[in-house]
Amino acid sequence: MAKEIIMPKFGFTQEESEILEWLKQNGDKVEKGDPIAVVSTDKVSMEVEAPESGILDGIRYKVGDTVPVTQIIAYVLQPGEKIPESDSTPAAAHTAEITTEPKTETAQKPAPSLERAAGVSISPVAQRLADDKQVDLNLVRGSGKDGQITRKDVEDYLANQEKTGGKVKATPAARRIAGEKQIDLRTITGSGPTGRIQAADVVSARTAEAPAAQVKPAAAGSQAVNPALKVLKEIPLVGMRRTIAQNMQRSMQEAPHMFLQVDVEMDAAEGLRKLANENKMENSPKVSVTALIVKAVAQALKQNPIVNSQFTSEKIVLYEDINVGVATALDNGLIVPVIHNADRKDLKQISLEVSDLALRARNNKLQPDDLANGTFTISNLGMFGIDRFTAIINPPQAAILAVGKMNQVFVPDENGQPVLRSVVSFSLSADHRVMDGSQAAKFLTDLKNNLINLGEIVK
Amino acid sequence: MEALREGMRQAMQQDERVFVIGEDIGVYGGAFGVTAGLIDEFGPKRIIDTPISEAGIAGAVIGAAITGMRPIGEIQFSDFVVISMEQLVMQGAKMRFMFGGKADVPFVMRLAGGSGTGAAAQHSESLENWFVHVPGLKVVMPSSPYDAKGLLLAAIQDNNPIMFFEHKLLYKTKGPVPEEMYTIPLGQSHVVREGKDLTLIATSIMVSRAQQAAEQLAEEGIEIEIIDPRTLKPLDEKPIVDSVIKTGKALIVHEAVKTGGFGGELAAVIMESEAFAYLDAPVRRLAGLDMPIPYNRNLEYHAVPQVENIVEEARKLVKGQY
Amino acid sequence: MAGNSKNEKLIGGILPESKARDLLYKMVLTRTFEENAEEMYALGKVHGTMHLSIGQEAIAAGSSPALKKSDYLLNTHRGHGHFLMWGGDLNRMMAEFMGKEAGYCRGRGGSMHIADVESNNLGAQGIVAGNLPISVGVGLSIQMRKTDQVVLTLFGDGASNEGAFHESLNMAAIWDLPVIYLCENNQYAMSMAFERAFRIEQVSERAAAYGMVGLTIDGNDVIAVYKAVSEAAERARKGNGPTLIEAVTYRWRGHSKSDRQLYRTREEVKEWMEKDPIQRFAKVLGVNEAQMKEIQAQAKEDIRKAVEFAEASPEPDVSTILEGIYA
Repeated sequence: MAKEIIMPKFGFTQEESEILEWLKQNGDKVEKGDPIAVVSTDKVSMEVEAPESGILDGIRYKVGDTVPVTQIIAYVLQPGEKIPESDSTPAAAHTAEITTEPKTETAQKPAPSLERAAGVSISPVAQRLADDKQVDLNLVRGSGKDGQITRKDVEDYLANQEKTGGKVKATPAARRIAGEKQIDLRTITGSGPTGRIQAADVVSARTAEAPAAQVKPAAAGSQAVNPALKVLKEIPLVGMRRTIAQNMQRSMQEAPHMFLQVDVEMDAAEGLRKLANENKMENSPKVSVTALIVKAVAQALKQNPIVNSQFTSEKIVLYEDINVGVATALDNGLIVPVIHNADRKDLKQISLEVSDLALRARNNKLQPDDLANGTFTISNLGMFGIDRFTAIINPPQAAILAVGKMNQVFVPDENGQPVLRSVVSFSLSADHRVMDGSQAAKFLTDLKNNLINLGEIVK
Repeated sequence: MEALREGMRQAMQQDERVFVIGEDIGVYGGAFGVTAGLIDEFGPKRIIDTPISEAGIAGAVIGAAITGMRPIGEIQFSDFVVISMEQLVMQGAKMRFMFGGKADVPFVMRLAGGSGTGAAAQHSESLENWFVHVPGLKVVMPSSPYDAKGLLLAAIQDNNPIMFFEHKLLYKTKGPVPEEMYTIPLGQSHVVREGKDLTLIATSIMVSRAQQAAEQLAEEGIEIEIIDPRTLKPLDEKPIVDSVIKTGKALIVHEAVKTGGFGGELAAVIMESEAFAYLDAPVRRLAGLDMPIPYNRNLEYHAVPQVENIVEEARKLVKGQY
Repeated sequence: MAGNSKNEKLIGGILPESKARDLLYKMVLTRTFEENAEEMYALGKVHGTMHLSIGQEAIAAGSSPALKKSDYLLNTHRGHGHFLMWGGDLNRMMAEFMGKEAGYCRGRGGSMHIADVESNNLGAQGIVAGNLPISVGVGLSIQMRKTDQVVLTLFGDGASNEGAFHESLNMAAIWDLPVIYLCENNQYAMSMAFERAFRIEQVSERAAAYGMVGLTIDGNDVIAVYKAVSEAAERARKGNGPTLIEAVTYRWRGHSKSDRQLYRTREEVKEWMEKDPIQRFAKVLGVNEAQMKEIQAQAKEDIRKAVEFAEASPEPDVSTILEGIYA
């Protein structure tokens, strides 16, 4: 008989879930326990697993649909079976193949861009299992698409841990070098027989661009909790928080940052924005300051391709695509949706995308593509009242622009008379491995000119 | 072979306490001709033919040694030493110690070992490691004519009982040998060839096979360092340890069967040393198969390491395939 | 093997004529085998070494054939003749000699270690005197199993000076074991002449020291050997213990192929070649020169076929190299 797949009930108060993604499609072969769909409750993304092995069929809902719990969402068929004709409501006794409740509200799907940039994506079930078993996912190798860590990877890792008592296969020489360089051998892939780590693996791991997994945020700040202090709350280092921690730590450790600042009079740009908003058509979005900056930045990146680049162990790669990410704060962290090909889009289009992305980010409706392939990041803390700050580069990018709030300041005019101007402070953090100060300075100067002369650019 | 003969001749010329005793070493010249002609120079009182009595030969050298002579015994095929075992192991090896360190037992027992002549299971063995296991004995195993003479003369001058293992196939090798008397100190390993990729420790005939293998591998850009311990006991560990620290990899090659062979001892020496932390692969042994030497020529060939086996094994080790 | 039909003439009063003729043929076959072996060695067709019994064929002819099929044989390194006389198949023997899979020992043992355990032929011996202590065990086993078997132990004058000789003879004597110690005194232990290796005139004198019967016989006389071995076997079967028989003969060839024979003169060898045991036995049987030629031609033909058989037999497969080491 066709096995029904129902929308599982994850929490006591939950009544419905939204289908975020179908991981399998009609006609796909599934194994019992395979994740087949990602669904979300209020804030948590969860996977629905196949209750049986067979062929997935009869998907009833599309992405974006909200489905009451215990409703049939699809079937698993055995050879020769057909989808039942009657659409009977599943019995209340049906329970989903999810056995534990999520412990935290951090498992996000789609993965935040920071994770993707690091090349580590983790399936929600894998994340949950890892959290339950306290597995350091840095030590787990992903076997899924694009190296995604799947539940099986975590299970294999756990099984292997049990078998070997957590021991790592490595030659004495590899152990010695790892010891000297304080490298955790568990983070290294062995090239020897049966995956044994040899000296060369440690040496190359040390010299090559280190994978994110090599840096353990836990290790960096792993001082014992001070028992003399009263604990207010503990925030588990999982999900987005952990990814941010890893990436930022890695960035600071690997990329030598240099910081350059410039103050830009924004009066012309502001005038342009106001004009555009006054004349805008109904239903078209307002032009935001962010959109202006994105446009000016995209132009400056085109003028200075060295900033739109990436550092690797062998070379520096300058990208033709200019994809500007805009850091967006969420309750539990930070994600960076991307305006792709920003240099080829007009102000209106950019404005549209910026507001759309921001909205969807806050509603947890971003798609992986929205977060992928950024080449430069803008972080704006002006709305939080910050005058100026420096940001940490979002790896593997080569630079990040920190934008402060717009201040009214008196500046001398041509005649030395004070005039009131709207000034924003821009700080560029640049990877000194990629570029030197003069190159970074040229970028900032071009950006400044672009903002001052925005009218010409957007024509 | 001539190097050994010359060594014995010079020792006998210089020191009249030196004599040679064994089966068919007189007019016959020794089963392999090593003692040929010596009887003409020194006569049957110093080149003593014995009946077929290996226990007797062993006892004779021990008894003569402890009473002031410096005998050289010859065991025609090293396999026959099993018949001398009691005398060598229970008597000769322990005498000095049992007598409170007061007795010198300065003999050299020469033994012709090894396979490759079609002499089958009872005439082809490599038994050197049995004696390494006996405290009191020294075990010497030359791999070249130069070493053979220098080590033999050093052995004759040494005040301990010495088992001197010669390889039958090496009797025909040629190499430069100084005419004058010279000694190579016992307990000195010899770096035969320098290289950075792999430490290859070989004994006896395997040294020359290793050299041939190293030549081939050099063409592939693999640089093998070859060390010949020359004296298995006492073993000069330092060059071996230093080399493994340099290369991170060790391959041990000997003809004797692998199980219980000297390679196990060498591997243990490496593991116990500072070199352990520099090992980047398991220490590997390439040795004779665990079997008696077969009569059939092809099987005999495959029963012990050959040049191509060494090449293959070394290459795999260097390329991280072990 | 001593059975005969009533009317048959007994050579030397003991050996039936038809059997005697068969033995003569086998003596010729042994010599032809060994001459052929020499030739093959010279041509590089066989490897290793070999020990030829040319000139000593009478001892083989007179010993094994005097025993029963159920008895045991402990052979020496110079044992081609004994192997044939014991009933060994020429083809498989040749195959072993050439190191082939069809050989008695699958090419693993070779001439020096050839054995046929199925026929109680417990093997040739590479270690001088190595078989002597074993004969004590075989004798003990016979005694414990209460059979009427005997064991024929072959060795040379050289072996008589190994410690194992003395231990073995003493033990066999004190326990009255059914062992026939047959010493082939061919005058040389490799290069060591009998006179240089012994203070006594005859090896058989040593029998007295252990309290067993000892005798020295003409080893080139088939009948003498046959008689002595028959008597020793009878003694052993009756429970009267071992016998030491010294059969005096001469090794025409060197000890092995690498022997330059500097320890003896050509004259001495020539002198002994005059006493050829085959010619002598042929004379006893009244076989004339023409008949002898026929016999030799037949032996050659048999050898040719055996070589053909051996050459057609496959080389042992290298993948089987580790077979036969452990049970």
